[in-house]
Amino acid sequence: MIAEIGRSAKLKFASLLYGLGFFFNVLKETGRFFRKSQVGYDVLIKQILFTGYEALAVNAVMAIAIGGAINVIGSSLLPQFGQSQLMYTILIIVITRELGPLLTAFVITARSGTAIATELGTMVVNHEIEAYLSVGLNPISYLVVPRFIGVVVSMLVLTIYFNIFGLLGSFIVVQVIKPTPVAEYLGTLLSTLTVGDVASGLSKALVFGVIVSVVATYQGFSVNRASTEIPVAGIRAVGQSFIMIIIADVLVTLMQYA
Amino acid sequence: MPDTAMPAIELRDVAASSGGYEILSGASVSFPEKAFSVIMGVAGSGKSTMLKVAAGLAVPDSGSVLFRGADMAQFSRKDESAMRATTGFVFQDAALWANTSILNNVSMPLRVHKPWMGESDVAEAVRLLLKRLGYDEGMAMRPAELSSGEQKLVSIARAVIHEPSLIFMDDPTSNLDEDAVERVFALFDDLRKQGRTVIVVANNSELAYRFADMIGVIKGGVMSIFGPYEETVARAESALSASLSRLKARGSRTKSVPEDMGSEMSQRGDV
Repeated sequence: MIAEIGRSAKLKFASLLYGLGFFFNVLKETGRFFRKSQVGYDVLIKQILFTGYEALAVNAVMAIAIGGAINVIGSSLLPQFGQSQLMYTILIIVITRELGPLLTAFVITARSGTAIATELGTMVVNHEIEAYLSVGLNPISYLVVPRFIGVVVSMLVLTIYFNIFGLLGSFIVVQVIKPTPVAEYLGTLLSTLTVGDVASGLSKALVFGVIVSVVATYQGFSVNRASTEIPVAGIRAVGQSFIMIIIADVLVTLMQYA
Repeated sequence: MPDTAMPAIELRDVAASSGGYEILSGASVSFPEKAFSVIMGVAGSGKSTMLKVAAGLAVPDSGSVLFRGADMAQFSRKDESAMRATTGFVFQDAALWANTSILNNVSMPLRVHKPWMGESDVAEAVRLLLKRLGYDEGMAMRPAELSSGEQKLVSIARAVIHEPSLIFMDDPTSNLDEDAVERVFALFDDLRKQGRTVIVVANNSELAYRFADMIGVIKGGVMSIFGPYEETVARAESALSASLSRLKARGSRTKSVPEDMGSEMSQRGDV
């Protein structure tokens, strides 16, 4: 029993070390990526289009709905406590600092995390990774780094979009509940918004983007030979990403408020 | 003629496993430069694994693999890139990149190792090579749209497009019809004339009969026999390899080779 626990712990530790090694390898190759002309630029552009551009609509709809919902809830609750003036603060904290990066990360994990893990897993099973090695392309620099950069860049851009559309959704609701001139709404909003709010949201977006891309590519490469391993890799990529994103969210928030 | 002074690839006491099963157990062999070496053996004997280990595509559990005298385990990124620029690999199952066109599949080695070539030159080089191999489908097609034989031809084209001096081939004639096999054999003729080193895993004894300078058999995880064709085939025993026995039964190539192959064999120094 104890021996079994020991073996299991040893395996988990080895797996953790392997994962960390993979992560540092990705960081190292990312540094090289921009220094030399790469055939991987094609992959990077496709990744940004898929992860960033194609997710724009779903992200915008979600942001508008949440911005509106916050305003509806806030408008009915806050006056009861005589705190109507906190509406903008709450809106900014919830959208910019918390839900913007978090929900965007969930959307990217569900769309791109699974796609990346299953695509790479399929490539492993079909010996396509070996084929890249055989022509002199490093799979980390050619396959992982463009996806890593693409997901991180998309994550940052989509978070900014989420913020804009979230605040826009709120504005639409404001017009129904208490019509307010655009200049007044934006003026109050911008005077409440701080650099810290934006930096907080973007720093989370950066961390979440790194998590989603590294976990998805790692899980994709963890497939060995059977096609039945591919959906398992996709499921693991989503599950691990969600857990790590939530833990990272708590840690970054604690660091910002401590 | 084979150059035995410095082997192109040397395996020293290599052990390799896959999925927990030992496949190679202390295999040692030297593949000479400028020779056409053929590896035979029954299914599951470890031929493909040995080829991948020799090409640096699989890492051995123990032992060492030397590429032109240098230990691959000590290769820097620059060394590996230099090696890949001079080698090509044909996979048993073609292993084409499914998400891109045939043009991109075949041209990738040129884009990686000869980045100075213009797009039109690259496309023309790919078109000519594929035409020569008898591939006449569109270059914009995806691998999934091709038959397995056509995929194999594309895979062979990808391995030789950048004119490597050392080519690894894993069962290059599988899935090919007879005409296609002859076109591939014509390509092999040219590779020989140009002094390229070729290491082939073959289940096709005709390939061995027509091209092998060196031949060997894998059995029990080791290269149980390896040497010059005539000498090795002459001392083959049926218990070792049915393929070698069949080649032995065909007799010496100098006597039984058809007349129209005589000139080719002369160029090889076999007659």
